[in-house]
Amino acid sequence: MEFFAIVFKSMIIGAAVGFGVGAGAARMFHAPKVQGMGAFRTLGELNACAGDAASHFSFGLGFFFNAWASSVGAGAFTQDVDHRIIPNWAAAVLMRKGKRPEDTLHHPKKMAIAGAIIGVLVVTFLNSTASAIPESLQATAIKVLVPAANLLINPVMPVIFWLAALDAGKRSGVWGTIFGGAAHLIMGNAVPGVVLGILIGKGVDDSGWSKVTKTMLTAVILLFVLSAFFRGFDIELIRGFHMDAPEWLIDLHKMIGLEVE
Amino acid sequence: MSEQVNEQSLNDSFWYADWSFPIFVALLSAGIFAGTHMYYVYHIGAFNDVAIVAMLEAGIQGAGYGAAAAFGASFLFARILEGSLVGILDIGGSLQTGLGIGVPALLLGAGITAPVESFTLSLITGGLLGVLIGYAIIGIRKFTVGKSNSTFGADIMMGAGNASGRFLGPLIVISAASASIPIGIGSIAGAAIFYAWKKPVAGGAILGAMLFGAFFPVSLE
Repeated sequence: MEFFAIVFKSMIIGAAVGFGVGAGAARMFHAPKVQGMGAFRTLGELNACAGDAASHFSFGLGFFFNAWASSVGAGAFTQDVDHRIIPNWAAAVLMRKGKRPEDTLHHPKKMAIAGAIIGVLVVTFLNSTASAIPESLQATAIKVLVPAANLLINPVMPVIFWLAALDAGKRSGVWGTIFGGAAHLIMGNAVPGVVLGILIGKGVDDSGWSKVTKTMLTAVILLFVLSAFFRGFDIELIRGFHMDAPEWLIDLHKMIGLEVE
Repeated sequence: MSEQVNEQSLNDSFWYADWSFPIFVALLSAGIFAGTHMYYVYHIGAFNDVAIVAMLEAGIQGAGYGAAAAFGASFLFARILEGSLVGILDIGGSLQTGLGIGVPALLLGAGITAPVESFTLSLITGGLLGVLIGYAIIGIRKFTVGKSNSTFGADIMMGAGNASGRFLGPLIVISAASASIPIGIGSIAGAAIFYAWKKPVAGGAILGAMLFGAFFPVSLE
């Protein structure tokens, strides 16, 4: 019973995701005039296959095995199902009779329909095989993958993003350091802060302190202030410096519904 | 296609228009959000990398949803801005991580489980949020297009993202070697073979570890 529920849900999910990914990928070829969705690397890889159906298929296949291993092991599809497998296989299906990419890959309607079909097949296959594997294998996967993933999240990713920010110029380095450090204090992981720091640093590098970059900086600071407040970081900050938190601040937290002890 | 279609008819046609963009985002978002529902209920089918799903898993196991929520929400925020400025919305950061991991973490952290527990609700929630994201992008686009020619460091972030992906292979071998000796040996062999075949090392390391784990199982204590 559960197996059929999984298959049924997977088909709906696959169709919805495949339709969106296919149309978004085809629209990327008309960006920036048309708003596309996908990724720059997806666009580059689709171009690299140069309209050859076999290249598209084998490129997707390489990532398919990786996605399969990850699905069976940890229940995670990898981002490649949306980024690489569906767009490339949809392109391969459309181009199988040697049709030109301009009439197939760049055409949102055709890509959306092909994407939906590929999506149903891929998602249903990955989910039904992943749900059928024995428990001992899942235990191994969790034992192996979770510690590796935890190391990746902290400290590997913060350090890589941070170093990239430092290498990207003075502004990105300074903003990345400030927001990255603050993000680790407030949210427990520096990556989002560093990303926002790069965003602001490079934005100002390229277009100066324009209306857009000023709005962004305000929004980022607001994001930090709000998440600090909602996680009770403000009270901890005051107490960390051996001071007493004012009553009104604690009352304010209570009013929002967050109890501070 | 583009050579036959001029700019005027581009915006008239459903498949190319600005106004249809939120519909495509909504469908993709509904699917991704429902994928997170699948992960929450059956432990399969989350549309993201192991490292990022692990953050949500940490929350489900009771270690707090803060990291996943903050990570996902700020990616969503950054990618919406970037997507509208450059004309390509990065679905990895915005939808798969932001909407698929960040939003569920926010909801679950606040004790709201219904949109993630129910399949129908997960599709509706994802779809509605997708429409909002789509309109936000089209809105920012109308407002800023032509006023800014910066990519806001998207290339740097992508470079860093890809670089951190490379770490996963060696990290898996290390944690496999810490799990047990047979699993470690399997993982080393798998990683070496995949490297020699020019395939991703992480995939070989996982498969090798699981193959040996099938014969010499470890318990989850």
